[in-house]
Amino acid sequence: MTTNRPDNTTHPPQTDQTPSIPTANDGSTATSRSTPASTINANARGNKTIVNSNTSTDSPAHDSTAAEASSDAKTDEMLLTVENLKTVFDTDDGTVHAVDGIDFTVQRGETVCIVGESGSGKTVTSESITQLFKSPPGSIADGSVVFDGIDLASRTEDELTDIRGARISHIFQNPQGALNPVYTVGWQLIEAIQLHRNVDDDAAREDAVDLLNRVGIPEASSRLDDYPHELSGGMKQRVMIAMALACQPDLLIADEPTTALDVTIQAQILTLLRELQADFGMSIVFITHDLGVVAEIADRVVVMYAGKVMERGSVYDVFESPSHPYTKALLECLPGRGSLGGIPGSLPDPTAPPTGCRFADRCPYAVEECTVGEQPVFESVGGEARDEDIEHEVSCVHYRSAADPSVLDQLDADRSSVPQERPSGRTVGTRDGEGGVARE
Amino acid sequence: MGKGVSPVSDQSGAARTEAPLLSVRNLTKHYPITTGLRSKEVGRVRAVDGIDFDVYPGETVGIVGESGCGKSTAASSLIRLEEPTEGTVRFDGEDITRYDQAELKAFRRRVQMIFQDPESSFDPRMSIGEAIAEPLAVQGLTDASRRREIVVDLLERVGLAAGDADRYPHELSGGQKQRVGLARALSMNPDMIIADEPVSALDVSIQSEILALMTDLQESFGLSILIISHNLAVIRQICDRVAVMYLGEIVELGTASEVFTNPQHPYTRALLASIPTADPTDRGTGIELTGDVPSPSNPPTGCRFHTRCPELIQPDDYAFEQSVWRRVMDLRQKLDGGTVDVDAIREGVVTEREPSETPDDVSATETKARLRDEFAIPQSLGDSRAESVLEAALDDLVSGNPAAARERLATEFATPCESQSPTLEDATAGQTASCLRLENELPPTELEQTVRSD
Amino acid sequence: MAVDNEPRETFEDVDWDDIDETTRSFSRKTIVTIGVYVLFAVGLLYDYVLKPSRADTIEPLGISLQALDWLYILTLLTILVGVVVPLYENGRMTRYYWQQFRKNRAAVASLLYLGVIFLIGSIGPRFLEQPTVDSSNAYQPPVFTSAPNWLPVECAGEVAGGSCHGTWAHPFGTTHEGKDILVSVIYGMEVSMQVGLIAALITITIAAIVGVSAAYFGGWIDAALMRYVDIQITFPTFFLYLMIVYLYGGSLFSMIVIFGLLGWGGIARIVRSEALQRREEEYVLAAKNAGASGYWTMRRHLLPNVSNSVITAVTLLIPGLILFEASLAFLGLGDPTVPSWGEVIASGRNDLPNAWWVSTIPGIFLFFTILAFNFVGDALRDALDPRAEGGDQ
Repeated sequence: MTTNRPDNTTHPPQTDQTPSIPTANDGSTATSRSTPASTINANARGNKTIVNSNTSTDSPAHDSTAAEASSDAKTDEMLLTVENLKTVFDTDDGTVHAVDGIDFTVQRGETVCIVGESGSGKTVTSESITQLFKSPPGSIADGSVVFDGIDLASRTEDELTDIRGARISHIFQNPQGALNPVYTVGWQLIEAIQLHRNVDDDAAREDAVDLLNRVGIPEASSRLDDYPHELSGGMKQRVMIAMALACQPDLLIADEPTTALDVTIQAQILTLLRELQADFGMSIVFITHDLGVVAEIADRVVVMYAGKVMERGSVYDVFESPSHPYTKALLECLPGRGSLGGIPGSLPDPTAPPTGCRFADRCPYAVEECTVGEQPVFESVGGEARDEDIEHEVSCVHYRSAADPSVLDQLDADRSSVPQERPSGRTVGTRDGEGGVARE
Repeated sequence: MGKGVSPVSDQSGAARTEAPLLSVRNLTKHYPITTGLRSKEVGRVRAVDGIDFDVYPGETVGIVGESGCGKSTAASSLIRLEEPTEGTVRFDGEDITRYDQAELKAFRRRVQMIFQDPESSFDPRMSIGEAIAEPLAVQGLTDASRRREIVVDLLERVGLAAGDADRYPHELSGGQKQRVGLARALSMNPDMIIADEPVSALDVSIQSEILALMTDLQESFGLSILIISHNLAVIRQICDRVAVMYLGEIVELGTASEVFTNPQHPYTRALLASIPTADPTDRGTGIELTGDVPSPSNPPTGCRFHTRCPELIQPDDYAFEQSVWRRVMDLRQKLDGGTVDVDAIREGVVTEREPSETPDDVSATETKARLRDEFAIPQSLGDSRAESVLEAALDDLVSGNPAAARERLATEFATPCESQSPTLEDATAGQTASCLRLENELPPTELEQTVRSD
Repeated sequence: MAVDNEPRETFEDVDWDDIDETTRSFSRKTIVTIGVYVLFAVGLLYDYVLKPSRADTIEPLGISLQALDWLYILTLLTILVGVVVPLYENGRMTRYYWQQFRKNRAAVASLLYLGVIFLIGSIGPRFLEQPTVDSSNAYQPPVFTSAPNWLPVECAGEVAGGSCHGTWAHPFGTTHEGKDILVSVIYGMEVSMQVGLIAALITITIAAIVGVSAAYFGGWIDAALMRYVDIQITFPTFFLYLMIVYLYGGSLFSMIVIFGLLGWGGIARIVRSEALQRREEEYVLAAKNAGASGYWTMRRHLLPNVSNSVITAVTLLIPGLILFEASLAFLGLGDPTVPSWGEVIASGRNDLPNAWWVSTIPGIFLFFTILAFNFVGDALRDALDPRAEGGDQ
C-alpha cells in the first residue's frame, strides 16, 4: 500500500519495508536497538531504579543517537515512514482535509518535531499514526504509515490496539484529562503495564515504582498511592510519561506535552525526555507550536501549514537557514525577534483548500506560479547541511532548479529598507539575512 | 513604533517626577481555609502577600511568575474584582479600596481588563456586538443605536469588520476573539488596561499580532497597561518595567531591559534560563529549578524561594560545591517534611538482589549509599567536616532516628535564607530585588547546570 | 487606525458624567413589555374586583374567563415575551438553531404535530360546544369503521349486514353517553396544553430564579434555598392533591397550581449546578469588570446559559405532567367538568371489547403528544448547545 504519487518523488527510496532487522513484535522485549541502559524489563526484577541523570545529561542526547543512527544502513534505521498521508473529517460544512498528503520519516532513536500553528494538521498527523482520532467522522483517505515494516494505515482496529501502548505510546498536552481522577496513580500505571505485558501484580507494582523513579518522581513507592489531584501539573506529566514508557515503546508520540506547563517545569520535562530517549533508545515524534521547544529537543523538523509539509530538514538547517517563507515568518514572530504584527491573513478554508501552495495568499514572496497546480514538490535547499543524513527540503517554487532562491533574501533587504506600516504592514520585514538565528 | 520595538524606555526608573497612575501598597489577598459547619478558619492560602508597585501614565508594566505565584489574584484584587484582604490601591490619587458601590461602578470605566481565555471570556449566547456594548449598557448608555455606532467604530479600530458585530463567539478564531476583548475594554475609554495572560492561549504568529495591536492602541490612547504573563518573552517584548513574583511576593522589580539583561534575583535568573531559545546549538545549559512551587497555604520560612534556590547561601564553616549544597538541602527539606522513607529505600535495594533476601538483609552502608543516590549527592562531599556531619545524619536516619538526623542537619547546615526574610533592596538604579545575597553583598554564584530535575 | 469616513459616534465621544446625571430611561422594548403585563393585571383586577361576581368577563361576547384561563393567558404572554420575541430579535442565532434542529426529521414532524394540536386546541373550544350527553347517540363508530348493529342505540349511519357504519357526523365516533369523541379530543387538546404549559412555566420560573440565585449568591442563601428544596422534594405532593380532591373536589386549576408550585425542586438543582459552572466563566468576571450588578449578571449571562438544561428538563417535564393529568383523570381524580383525554379514555375502559374507539382514539393522541415532546426535547438539546458546533477546525 505504498502509493507513490508523482509529486512526491523526492522522497528517499526506502519503500521496501521488509523488516530486515530481527524485531520482536510482541512488545515484551525491546528491539535489537534498545540501549543497554533500559531499566524496565519484563523478566529483570527492576534492576536500576535510581535517577541516574547526572551521567546522562552531560552528553546531549541528540549527539549520541545521531551518531548511532548514521552508523547503520539507512533503510534499517527508518522506524516510521509516512507517505502521502491524507486524513479527512466529514463534517456538516463539508470534508475537512486536515492532513492532505504529507511525507516524513522517523529514524530509530531520533526526535522528530512536527511544528505548526493550530489548524496546521499537526495533531491530526500524530493521531493518524495509530488512528487515534474518532472515526467517523475521521478517516485515512490515502497514503501509508509504515511502522517497522507494518503498514498501520491498513490495519484493523484490533491490530492497532495491540500496537498502541505496546510499541507506540502517546502522551498528551493535558495530563489532567488523561489521568482518571478516581484511581490512584499506581493503579493506573499498573494497569498500563499489565495491559500489554503478562506480569503478576507484585512484579507490575515493582515495575511501576521503577518507572516513577525513572521519570524523576521522588519517593516513588509512596506516590503510587496518591490520586492524580494530589500531584502538581509537572508531576502528572511525569506520570503520563511513565505510563507511556510502561512497555518500552519503540516510538513515543508526544502531543504538546509541555504547553500546559510553566517554563521551569517545561525545562525539567524536556531534560527528562532527552535522558529517557538516550536510555531507552526510542524514537520521539514531538508535536509542538513552540519553536523554542523545537530547538531544544528536535533532531529533525517537519514544518506543517494547512495540512501540508512546507519544509523539513535537520533542526540545525531549519533554524540556521529557514528556507520556506512560512518558516521564516514563523521564526520572525518569536517574541524578542524584533518584529511585531504576526503573519497577515488567515488559514485557508480546510474544506476547500486552494490550488498551488497553501501559503501563497499570505506569502510576501508569492509569484503567479504559486497559485496554480499542486503544492510545489520538495526541492533540496542546497548549501552545506549540518547533518548530512537529513536532507533539507522545501516545498517552494523559489527553490526549483531554474529559480533563484536568493530572490527571497533580496526581497527581505528591499522590505527592510522601506518603513513599515501597520496594521496592514508586512511582518517578514526585518530579517537580518542568512543564518540570523542568534537572538538579539 | 513605540514600546513594542524598543522595550527600553528612556522615561523609566527612579527619576520620575509625575505622579503614578496606579500605586499599590502592601496588597494582600488571603483565602481562608475553613472547615466544619461554622466555617472555622484553619489556615490561609496566601495568594498575594503584601506587594508594592506603581504604574505611571502611559507605561507598560509586566508581572511575571510561574502559575500559582499569585499574579492573577494580584490583578483581580487590585481592581476589586475580588476584595483584597489588606493594603491600599491608589488610582489617580484616590484610594479605591474605600470606594462604595457607586464609586466603584464609576471607577470601572477607568480600568478595564482583558482576560486570558478567549473561549470563556465571551458569553456564547451574546453576539460580538452585544458583548462589546455590554459595558456601555451596564454603565447606563441606553440608546441602542448609539451603542451600535460605537461598536462598529471599535470593531474597525481593532482590525475587524463592522459585520462581525452580528457574529457569535464560536464563529471567531482565538486571535479575533482577543481583538474583540480589546474592543470591549476600550469601549469605556479607560486610562488603564489590565491584561491577564492576553496571548498565552494563542499561536505565536497571532500573539505577535495582538501584541502589536496592544502597543498601537496604547500609543493612540495614551493607555497604561499592566500585563500579567508567565511568558517572559512576551513581557520582555512590550513592557517598560517588570515585577517578578514568587509565592505571593515580588522578588524583583525593575526596568525590563535591566531585569532581563542583568537579573539580580536567583529566581529571575532561573526563570530566564528556563526559556527555550530558538537556537538548536544552545540546548539545556540553563539553570534548572528543582521541584515545584510550594503551597501558598504554607509558604517556606525566611526567603520563600530558599527551598528551590540554586544559589542558596552556604554556612560559613563549610566549603561545598554549590550544586552539592543544593542537593544536601533537598535531603534536609525532605527530612523536615517527613517524606524520606528508609524502608522504601531498603525495599528498593532488595528488588535488585536475589529474591530470597528481605529488606532486613540490607546493610546500613548500602542504604546510605542508596540514599545519597536518591538525592544525587556524591558519595563524598569533598569537605571532610561536612562529610562527617552528613554521614552522622545518615547514620541517625538509617538507625531509625530521623528526628536526630533532622536536628543534626538543621544545626550544622543552617542557612540564613531559611530564617531571615529578605526585603526589596535597591540593587542597581531603578532595580530592586529581595535576596539575602544582595543584602549581605555576596556575589552571585557561578552556577553549573543542576542536573537533577525533580 | 481606521479612517472615519462619516462622522459617527465613537467611544471617546461618550460623556459619562452626562449619562450619570440623567435619570435612567427605559428602552422601548422594556416599556412595551411592562405595558403588556400591566394590561393583564388590569384585566385580572377588573374580573375579580370591579365587575359583579356572577357576570361574564366580557359581557357582550359572552366570554367568561376562569382562574385557569387567566393563568393560561399569562403563560402564553410570557412565552411570547420570553421566547418568541427574543427568537425574532436574534434572527441569526434563531436561524442557526433552526438549521441544527432541522437535522432531526422526527423532531420537525413532532414540532409540526404539536403546533397543530396547539392551534386546534386553542381555536376549537371557542367555536365548538362542549360535548353533551345524548344517550340516543351513544356508541356511534368512527367513520370508515363499523360496529355490531346492536351496540348503538340508534345508528346514525348506514346499517348494512348487521353492522352500523360510522358517519362524518361523528368522525371519531361517540362514547357510551353519546358524547362526540372528536369534540372531546379537541377539548382535551386544550386541557393538555394548559396542563403542560402552565405547570411547566410555573416550575421553570421558580426553578430558574431559585437555582440561579443559589448559585450566584452562594453562602447561606444557597444553603437555605437548597435545604428547602431537599424538604420539598420529600414532600408527598400527590397526597396533598388527593386531600384537596377529597375536601374540595377535583379541579384542574388546583392540580396545575399544586404540581407547578411543588414540583420545581429537581429542576432548581439542575439549574444551580449548571449556573455554578457558568459563574466561574470569565465572561461573568468581564461583566463585573464593566460594573454590572448581580441582577444584570444573573439575567444576562447566567439565565441564558442555563437555558439548555432548563429546556431539556422542561421538555421532559411537560409530557410527564400531561401523562400525570391523564392518569388522574383516568382514576377519576381529575376535574369532572373538564373533558380531558384521560377522562375520555377512562370512560371507554368498560367498553373496550365492543367500542374500542372510545379509549383508543384519545389514547393515540396522548401517545403521540408525549412522543412528540420527547423528540422535540432531544433535538432542542442538541441544537441549543452553542459549543457543539463551533468554529473550531
